[in-house]
Amino acid sequence: MALTIGIPRGLLYYYYGEIWRRYFERLGVQVVVSGETTRSMIDQGGKIDEVCLPVKVYIGHACALKDKADFIFIPRIVSVAARQYNCPKIIGLPDLVRSNFPSLPPLLDTEINLRKGRYDLFRAVVELGKRIGNSPIASLTAWLKAVRSVKPVMTSSGGKVNGVQVGLIGHPYILNDSHISMDITGKLERLGVNVVGAGAINDKEIVKAAKQLSKEIFWHYCQHLAGAALALMKFPQPLDGVIFVTSFACGPDSLVGEVLSWHARQLNIPVLMLTMDEHTGEAGLVTRLEAFIDMLVRRKKLCC
Amino acid sequence: MLLTFPHMGTLYIVLETLFKGLDIEVLTPPPMTRETLEIGAKYSPETACLPFKMNLGNFIQSLSRGADTIITCGGEGPCRLGYYAEVQKNILAELGYKFKIIAIEPNFRHVWQVFNQLTGKCSWQKIYRTFKLAGAKLSALDYIERQSWFYRPCKANDLVSVDNALAGFDGGLAKLVLKKSENPLRIGIVGEIYVMLDNFINHELTQKLGRMGVEVYGTTLLGDYVRTHLVKNRKAWNVYQTVLRQALPYLGHYVGGHGIKSIGYTAKLAQEGFDGIIHVFPFTCMPEVIAKNILPEASRKLDIPVLSLAFDEQTGIAGMVTRLEAFVDLLAYRRRKLVQG
Repeated sequence: MALTIGIPRGLLYYYYGEIWRRYFERLGVQVVVSGETTRSMIDQGGKIDEVCLPVKVYIGHACALKDKADFIFIPRIVSVAARQYNCPKIIGLPDLVRSNFPSLPPLLDTEINLRKGRYDLFRAVVELGKRIGNSPIASLTAWLKAVRSVKPVMTSSGGKVNGVQVGLIGHPYILNDSHISMDITGKLERLGVNVVGAGAINDKEIVKAAKQLSKEIFWHYCQHLAGAALALMKFPQPLDGVIFVTSFACGPDSLVGEVLSWHARQLNIPVLMLTMDEHTGEAGLVTRLEAFIDMLVRRKKLCC
Repeated sequence: MLLTFPHMGTLYIVLETLFKGLDIEVLTPPPMTRETLEIGAKYSPETACLPFKMNLGNFIQSLSRGADTIITCGGEGPCRLGYYAEVQKNILAELGYKFKIIAIEPNFRHVWQVFNQLTGKCSWQKIYRTFKLAGAKLSALDYIERQSWFYRPCKANDLVSVDNALAGFDGGLAKLVLKKSENPLRIGIVGEIYVMLDNFINHELTQKLGRMGVEVYGTTLLGDYVRTHLVKNRKAWNVYQTVLRQALPYLGHYVGGHGIKSIGYTAKLAQEGFDGIIHVFPFTCMPEVIAKNILPEASRKLDIPVLSLAFDEQTGIAGMVTRLEAFVDLLAYRRRKLVQG
């Protein structure tokens, strides 16, 4: 019987999940991805104290894979670019899961650290393949083919704009998880807002925009996010407002959020900071969104 | 140029010596009080960690007293400390202060630049003497701190004189007649350096424990940090490496700050026969939150009780004292049980 590997749908899955899935499938392994986030997952992850909501959700997803897989894939992704780090919580993820949930299947916790050099990824790929019984060459080919077969998805920037245009900034593992974000994109669209996300900008522009920061942000995903936000703020069709979605107890965002709102103030763009946690009430969120949009509409009328 | 810097425990004594010796005008921020905390918290992002808020409070108090240059540290992550200066710079500028900020980045080129900028016209001999003096003060401060851990539980009925003798720094300790309490409880303190070193932030944790008759052992003093991470003294570095190795079964990688050391020292002190561990950190500190969530497992396997205490601007002293008393009672009870078998 083929080996089954479980991948929790959370955190970096939203960046690399598709590549991981194809990589394992090419190696002849069966892959199970945990389902959509549920309330009980959050309750299970709540066993871990003081961490941010996405980490709790991730742990809930890992627990949901308990009897469904022979291994759970929780890589230790220390860094994905030279001179940069990931958030400490992502670095410590395998240990966090292992020490609090000893009854889970063994973890595939290969370390990926591109601070050590750009080829560390290939070392990790080979090591990972070896642990599930594959030769280095098979692992590498599977990886390269998987990477090549996944195309980055670009969302269109909406074309012509009628109402207000709002930039929605936040980590993909918050925005794309409709349980954590409470489907904020859908809510905004129903209010008649044209929502532009980081997906509307290509990587080159993001890197270029991030150069405006006086010091490079050393958390890779935050640097990317800040770059996207800065690029959006100077978009050809200027934004009427920016909504920054973060989660309570997110360390990097507490500082990056301040940097972004400072830049927005310089450009005179209103910012709404939304901090999500497991106690966030949907009604409260809707009220705040409505109030913010009302204000933007009024402001736009006054300006023109 | 009127230079200022952030507070951290007794660091100001060392920095004052250093800068004054190099003929730099320096303004030490006023001692940290409730007011510093309130000013800092008011202008900081809500969920920033406590050191960020306190540093900002220090800067505001110093700038409004006439300082015009701030010296602080940069960093390369993954702890938030490395990005403090960038954010604080913007906040202070928006408040209307005119100042220059020097954030020392941990690479040789930048350290050299700052060093040249600050030492300016000083002769090498003078620089050498100044650093030597600052180093000596650093060691002396650590020595006094270590003595206090030992002496405080000794004479529980004459506490005031122990504290006075410590405050005098004048060899007063030697004059005290001390009754060594027999085999006091020993508690190791692990965690984040800022909370561990600053008595205002940790509400005099070591003093409180000492007065309860506990012999405290702080795992990181300022001198330890300087020797391990700045000077890279071989002996200190080797100790650090052993501690890291001892953490490996529980936490497999450096997570920034002192997270991995908290776990390594817990393992080390458990082997050395300590009765308990107190883990201190600022609320939402990323590295220590990881450590905190792994410590229960380490505590079970190593058979040593661990108390985690998070500090922020809301921490109440009474609540903390109650928890400390309960923890100390538990350790005393546990030891009696172990002795009885």
